[in-house]
Order: sequence, then structure tokens, then C-alpha cells
Amino acid sequence: MAYFLGIDIGSSTSKGIITEDGNNLSSHLLPSGVNYRLAAQNLIDELLTKAGVTREDITCTVATGQGSANVEIADQEVADIRCCARGIFSLFPSVRTVIDIQGQSTQVLRLNGEGQVANFVVSEKCASGSGRFLDIIANVLQIKLEDIGPLSLESKNPITFTTGCAVFGESEAVSRVSEGVTREDIVAGVHQALAEKISSLVGKVGLEERCAITGGGGLNIGLIKWIEKKLGIELMVPPEPQLVTALGAAIMAEDACKPG
Amino acid sequence: MGWLGEGVVRIHFAGIDLGSTMTKIVILDDDEQIKASVVHHTGAEHRRLANRVMEEALNKSGLSIDDMTFVMATGYGRINVPFADRQITELSCHARGVASFFPNVRLAIDIGGQDAKGLKIRDGKLLDFVMSDKCAAGTGRFLEVISTALGLKIEDLGDISLRSTRKVSVSSTCTVFAQQEVINHLSAGVPLEDVIAGLHDAIAGRTARMVNRLKVEPDVVFTGGVAKNIGVVKALEETLKCPVLVPEEPLLSGAIGAALLGKEHVLKALDQGETIQTGKRRLGEATFFK
Repeated sequence: MAYFLGIDIGSSTSKGIITEDGNNLSSHLLPSGVNYRLAAQNLIDELLTKAGVTREDITCTVATGQGSANVEIADQEVADIRCCARGIFSLFPSVRTVIDIQGQSTQVLRLNGEGQVANFVVSEKCASGSGRFLDIIANVLQIKLEDIGPLSLESKNPITFTTGCAVFGESEAVSRVSEGVTREDIVAGVHQALAEKISSLVGKVGLEERCAITGGGGLNIGLIKWIEKKLGIELMVPPEPQLVTALGAAIMAEDACKPG
Repeated sequence: MGWLGEGVVRIHFAGIDLGSTMTKIVILDDDEQIKASVVHHTGAEHRRLANRVMEEALNKSGLSIDDMTFVMATGYGRINVPFADRQITELSCHARGVASFFPNVRLAIDIGGQDAKGLKIRDGKLLDFVMSDKCAAGTGRFLEVISTALGLKIEDLGDISLRSTRKVSVSSTCTVFAQQEVINHLSAGVPLEDVIAGLHDAIAGRTARMVNRLKVEPDVVFTGGVAKNIGVVKALEETLKCPVLVPEEPLLSGAIGAALLGKEHVLKALDQGETIQTGKRRLGEATFFK
């Protein structure tokens, strides 16, 4: 028996997977909080308990994500772009473009036929291009984050935001509410603005089908629909989009131990 | 004082600057001395607020609206001033106001609640400008969001930052991410003053990059609400490598400039033998505030 551990310490959420000879044994996610080291420890403990194995049983561990340096037991640190590519390619071998939408950044990857990263672009300088923008608007409108996507699909008249800034966007949402604009039209406007930014990122690496969505953004059906509308294509959505990069890390851990 | 014609004995110029965050009004007398000034938060109802600050300023100075020789409105809400005789862009007003305090000004920096501007001024005239209003980082909003998140009063940030001995670096590109960074720094045990000093550095750095095109040379004058923050003033001096002058009332430069431009307008009209066109002074609408 060989067990492999993939840990993805993201800016908002930490994710992990233990595989056993290529099968998922356990997976878990928790908020990263402000102490990545603590998050990593808690995550690993939880994964081991769920899988019923001990630290010593793990053959190899690969850490990735913004906080990867805080995973003390890691044998290797690998860039999250590569782990994301490895993970999604293992699920969808036909994928050529990946839109990875995280809490504080969005990245678009283009893969070649072997699943290697041929090109990528990262947007991480500004909250309005990441899942954080949705978070902020959901919060100010007092809507649960998981409800914001479905609600946006009920809109008949999405508003156009005059600003590209998440902070000014928050004020704009508030003043629209006071003007009597419905919440669905406002949240549809936010999704539209985000979809617009993302499609321009996709344009930078060049869209090649098929295209998949990963990261927390892949949980938002509204965002998926708005991006599909903007790009005029259908997106492939993995069953657990947030875990794709951790899965890739676990596969890389297996790869590292293969003879030769 | 007979120059305005028979029967006119009281000469006053009002300037009102309806900004995105704060509304400022001043009444100047014929000698350009401030008779009254009022500063109020700009809410959603611009017209009512404009009336309200005007009434307050009139009450303070013991004058009536009819004593105003000319009322000039500026700022982003300037069309919502029911009693204004004329509107003018805030850039001209800031340049005029700043030059009235510091005649040798060559670069004026104004950081307000939702934008930041750099003005290149020569001999009191506006030659060129740069502006940033697309993003909250680099504006007063940046400090407002973060001080609220930390439960601090925005007016205390300056003094807190002066205690700093080892400031940390904070990202200047996004307010939302900077807020997260600040919280991370604090939870890692970095002293509050070092984090706040880092914030001020972030704003100063962003401002320096913005005004770079205008050529930085003394006198550099700093106005707007953020100029009340001594920490940002010091950080700007360090970043721009030159002294930064701040007028006594940094919020009022736009309103004072508006009043002065109103006076110039009147003088020019008189010079050309024209009568002064004043608007309908509909202040009565707002008397319920009394």
C-alpha cells in the first residue's frame, strides 16, 4: 500500500487529498485563516483521521498554493498552476483551457495535448477580478455566497457597474438598492462584470476547446452560465472544482515516487 | 465699496465644493477673508445637503443669501446646487485655492474620499493634471475601509503611525487585498503602528507614481481630506524627497478657489461693462432644516 498526500494552501481555503494507488481515500477543506501553518496542520490531521492512516504511512507529500511553504511535512513544493493542470487533465483529458477562479486571484491556463501548461495568465492584483468581488457584494446585500449565483440567473435587467473596483462597486450596489433596483439585477451585474474580466483573460492566452472551470468559482452556477454566455461555449465542470489543484498535487506526489 | 453700483454695500463670495465624500462651503468677504466655513458629509441627497450647508454658513456669518454677490459651485455634485450662479470644474478651483495659500506652488496633490489628483501649476495657472478615480486604492477610501475594519478612527491613523519604528510593506494595488494583508500582519504580531505606517507608505508610493509625469518640484502642496493625516504627509515627503506643504484647512481649497473664481468672474464682468448674471437663489426650499 502506498499513500500520497496533496495539500493546497490557498489564500482563502486550504484543500487536501490523500490517494491510495490512484484512488481518492479522503479529501477535506477548511478556511485558511490568517495562520497558514496552523491551517495546514489541522487539514492534515483531518485528512489522516478520515483516511484512517498515520503520518508515517504517507509515502510522499506535495504542497502547493500561496501558503505551500507552511506545510512542514512536504517533500516537494510545486506551483499551483502545474498542480491545477495535472489535476484537471486527469479528470478531463480533452481539456485545453482551464479557468481557475480563486478567492483572491483568477488564472487561465492553456494546456497542450499532453496536459502540460503551454501558456497562462494570472490576475491577482485587484479584487474585482476574483471571487472576492462576489463575496463583497453578497455580504453587502446580505445574500449567502452560495445563493448569489442562482439568484443572478433570475435577473431580467442586469445593471452595468460604472466602476472596475470592488470597493467602489460595493457602494454602487448600495446606492442601486436605494434606487429600488432588485437584488437579482445587481448580482447579475456583478457576475457579468466578473465574466467580462475573465473572458478578457481567456482572450490573452487564447481560447481552445474544451474549456474547464476550477476553483471556488466552479461552485457558482451563475458565474458558470455568465462566462459560458460571454465566451459562447459550454464549460466542463468537475464534481469538486475546489479540490482539483490538491488532486493534481497528490498525483504529482505519486509521480515523484515512480521508479525511473 | 461703491464699485458694484449704487445700493450694494455688502460684498461676499460663496464657494461650495460638493465632493463625493465631503461637502465644503466657504463665504469670503471682499478682502478674501473667510467669514464662515462648513464641512459636512455628503449623503445621497445632494440638493438638500447643499441648501443645508449654505444655511449653516449664512447663520454662522450672520448674512443672508441676498448678501452673496456671487455663488460658485464645484465638485462632482456641482450641478446639484440649487442656489449656485455658476458651476466650474474642481480642477480649476483647486488650482486657484492652492495658489491663494501658496503662490509658488508648482505641484498640488489633492487626495479626497474617492479620487486623487495631481495638478501642475505655474504662476497660479493650471497647466496639466493627472487623476485617479477608477480604484479605491490611493484614495481616502483606502484608509477609511481599513480603519473601519480595524475599529480605528480615521483621524487617529496619522498619530499612530508616527510611533512606528519598523514599518512593514503593504500592497498598494487593491484596497481589499491590502485589508487582508493588514490583518495578516497584525495576527503575525507586527505592531499596529508599523502596519499603519506601511499603509501610509503604500498611498504615498501610489501617489508618487501618479504625479511622476507632472515633474515633482517645490513648492509641493497637499490638500484634500487625506492631507489631514500627518503620517501620509511624512510618507509623501520621504517618497517625493521634498517638503510637502499643507494649508491650515486642507479640505477647503476647492471651495475657497471656487469663491475666488466667482470674484474674478464678477470683476471681469464689471470690467467689460456687463451685468452680473446670478441664478435663481432657491434657498427657501430647504428651510425645514432650521
